[in-house]
Amino acid sequence: MEILRQFASTEAAAAESSDIFSALGINWMMLIFQIVAFLLLVVLLGKFVYPWLIKSVDERQDKINAATKAASEAQAAAVDAEARVEKLLKKARVEAADIVATAKLESASALAASEEKAKKRSEQIISDAQDEIKKEVIAAKTALHNETIELVALATEKVVGKAVSSKIDESLITDALKAVK
Amino acid sequence: MNTFAALDLHISIAAQELFKIGSFPVTNAMLTGLAGLVITVAILFYVAGKVKKGRYNRFVGLVQWVFEGLLKSIHDIIPDQKLARKITPLAVTIFFFVLISYWLSVLPGLETVMYNGVPILRSLTADLNFTLGLALITVVVVQIYAIKQLGIIGNAGRYFRNPIKDPIGAFEGVLELIGEVSRGTALALRLFGNAFAGEVLLIVIAALTSYFATVALPFFMGFELFIGFIQAYVFFVLTLIFTSLAVSHHGDSNHDHSPAPKSKKAKSVG
Repeated sequence: MEILRQFASTEAAAAESSDIFSALGINWMMLIFQIVAFLLLVVLLGKFVYPWLIKSVDERQDKINAATKAASEAQAAAVDAEARVEKLLKKARVEAADIVATAKLESASALAASEEKAKKRSEQIISDAQDEIKKEVIAAKTALHNETIELVALATEKVVGKAVSSKIDESLITDALKAVK
Repeated sequence: MNTFAALDLHISIAAQELFKIGSFPVTNAMLTGLAGLVITVAILFYVAGKVKKGRYNRFVGLVQWVFEGLLKSIHDIIPDQKLARKITPLAVTIFFFVLISYWLSVLPGLETVMYNGVPILRSLTADLNFTLGLALITVVVVQIYAIKQLGIIGNAGRYFRNPIKDPIGAFEGVLELIGEVSRGTALALRLFGNAFAGEVLLIVIAALTSYFATVALPFFMGFELFIGFIQAYVFFVLTLIFTSLAVSHHGDSNHDHSPAPKSKKAKSVG
């Protein structure tokens, strides 16, 4: 290969003409210059560039950490809330069952009370009706009694043929009735 | 074969000099590196400005996403949060600058735009001066943090131990010392090798495919973009791993490798 021959001959000539460092292109002046230039670059970037980048990375890391912490806290809160909801639901179920039971009891007692009240009311109505009937019967009897007395008086007047005063008449009738009884 | 020769390809391990400022040579890699530097600074300052004002767009989001990923890698590799924040500017700059410099090697006109017969464009990562410099910075910074964490004596204790009291530990220390040198060298050569090979690959493919280069090259360019990302990430991660290894030697230097005290302990237990 011509290339390799050319390459080898160039380097061999360089190696022959000077020491190994020259052959490899090492020049102490350039070496020191490049070291200084690179160190200056490191200092420059280290002072004006990396602090900002590191700060931004740290801030982002802090945000991630905070978000992770918040997420874990939220998860714990969710679990806690779920447990509390479950507890509340359980309590609510128990309370609801109590309320239903109480309502059933109350409705049963209200029903019984209303039945009792209705019964009493109906009995009262019946009793009142009976009293009314009795009164009417007594009134009817009284009216009949009075009419009978009048009739007897008239009849007696006709039979006796003489007119008597109403007081005498009345006493006579009363006596007659007593005698009849 | 003659076709390749006729193409007169410019393949050189060393970055080539374009001109001189005084006695200081300005190479094509430095010129491309300067462009990479400007692009890196422009992108990162633009993103930082937008982030500062809280005005986000897709590009800002993309860069911020990459930055966040890098920051996460840093915190994963270096458990000490304080140290992780300290090493962040160096590690992240290495990633962005190496990535952009590497990707500049994919720019069209790599071999065709010439100045005084020398190609103007050459990736900075394909220049050993840069990769070696970067590796040196990494090794030195790692040593600085190791000294801060372990103290001078403690850090030296990783390499130098008493060979009479602890012969195995002393040998380990020598290996550790060799390891430090080899790590730095490997860092430099790995990046250089990949970037240089990538550039050569693009040149050779362009030469081999001739008029079909417009069809063939995009595939290889895409591949090079991927390799560039991998290399930037590898350099970034290795910097962090070396730092983490260096500062995690707490108490390791007190490892007792000598058999004598163990036998004493064994006797006392017995």
